Amino acid sequence: MSPVLTALVLALLAYILVFDMLAPMFVLGNRPLIAGFLTGLIVGDVKTGMLIGGTLELMSLGVYTYGGATVPDYMLGAILGTYFGKGGNFDVGIALAIPAALLMTQVDILNRFLNFVFVHRADRYAEAGDVKGFERMMVWTSHMIWGFSRAIPVFLAIALGEPVVKSVSAFFDAFPWINKGITAAGGILPAIGFAMLLKILPVEKYPAFLLVGFVLFAYLKMPLVGIALCGVALAAIYQYLKYEKKEA
Amino acid sequence: MATKATKVTMADIKKAFWRYVFFSQCGWNYERMQSVGYCYSMLPIFKKTRPDPEEFKEAFITNLNFYNTNPILGTPLIMGAHIALEEAGASFDTTEGLKVGLMGPLAGVGDTLVWALYNSIIFSICSSMALAGNSLGPILAMILVFFPYMALRWWQITWAYKQGSNLMASIGGGAIGRITEFATIVGLVVIGGFAPSIVHLVTPLAYSQNITVGGETATQTVSVQAQLDAVLPYMLPALVIFLAYWLLKKKGWSPVKVIMLLVVIGFLGGAFGIFG
Repeated sequence: MSPVLTALVLALLAYILVFDMLAPMFVLGNRPLIAGFLTGLIVGDVKTGMLIGGTLELMSLGVYTYGGATVPDYMLGAILGTYFGKGGNFDVGIALAIPAALLMTQVDILNRFLNFVFVHRADRYAEAGDVKGFERMMVWTSHMIWGFSRAIPVFLAIALGEPVVKSVSAFFDAFPWINKGITAAGGILPAIGFAMLLKILPVEKYPAFLLVGFVLFAYLKMPLVGIALCGVALAAIYQYLKYEKKEA
Repeated sequence: MATKATKVTMADIKKAFWRYVFFSQCGWNYERMQSVGYCYSMLPIFKKTRPDPEEFKEAFITNLNFYNTNPILGTPLIMGAHIALEEAGASFDTTEGLKVGLMGPLAGVGDTLVWALYNSIIFSICSSMALAGNSLGPILAMILVFFPYMALRWWQITWAYKQGSNLMASIGGGAIGRITEFATIVGLVVIGGFAPSIVHLVTPLAYSQNITVGGETATQTVSVQAQLDAVLPYMLPALVIFLAYWLLKKKGWSPVKVIMLLVVIGFLGGAFGIFG
């Protein structure tokens, strides 16, 4: 595939994955693991797609748009990272994916803001009792601002990006400390996902459960499934003591 | 009323359900969030329950009010209960009360159970498979999203429709409260073990010290990481997670701001060889 054709196909993929995220959630295509894998299938390098997607996925576990908050666009990061990292250039791919995902936060805020046009048009359709007009808007245009806000950057980055990426990767080779910095940043980034999870869970009410999980892993080296089973047992005991005992 | 309301059929519920599946968050915006998707999904129901054109128009306008909850575990439940109320001829005050009363609590429950717990667990396992080069990882993730999500959504709308107005009571306490509590405890235990295994932060720093053993002086290299591990294993990842949590929860920082800070700390630490 020529770069322009690939750019078009991947832009279409970005649009479809945005649509999947907005409503159907058939495959959660906006998760980087899925976006990276599908991009890998298209560009013919599934291995890189899984490496880039899996790495970004672990960086962003638990990072969701709670209440409509903007988070980095790891889906776009996975698409571009897989494309530019294909053929064994994992370092270049991941080094591009993270800044691309972060840059998209500005675009995300803008598209969430611009979408007010749909609700204002809906008001006018409702006033006029124009159900058909409203339905046409919902089916055909209501996903366009969001979809194009991702499809266009993907298209431009791939269609025009090759020379830029070549010079970026030459730059990385010349200054190895940049890669060290990016690798370390990638290592600590998952902290944000866990912090967000802890923020929405009632940690202050049940701090002991968090501690048990930590001890099981840090001191006893227990695998995750074992830790989860201990969690199930603890929850059952807790609820038994709290509810059943009183009823007995 | 000009004409009599006709009964809502299973076909109408299916129509509303598929509209919801394909368009629930399309047109999402800061002003009224999921309102347009919700209104669009419910229009086939209003056509049946509000045959009077003026009343239908009022339903159309009213349901463009602010609306936001978890789209997977939340909206279908609210739709089912709303359909039951519509069928019973409830007033707009009642139906709007139902939506507003349920959307807040369900957003909390849904975000915790679906996003924070279920997704994090399946995606971490499937990512580890993918990183080991196993294509089954991402495929399994897609399967574990598609079928449970579809089943959960369809079950909610039909169950809530049958429950009707009793639903408000059962959300507040009772079974759903206990399920959430159970899942929260499992989640906290898992996160406690999971977080330090995923967040990677170690330091290669070391220092030399002279020790005198039996009159002979020798130089010994001491690894800072080994010292830290002796105090508390995974101390650095735990500290970073706590810092991020504290900034988000107590300082009110946005996630993006915290991410930027972590990128800067990580990048500088890595570039200067403090972390590695």
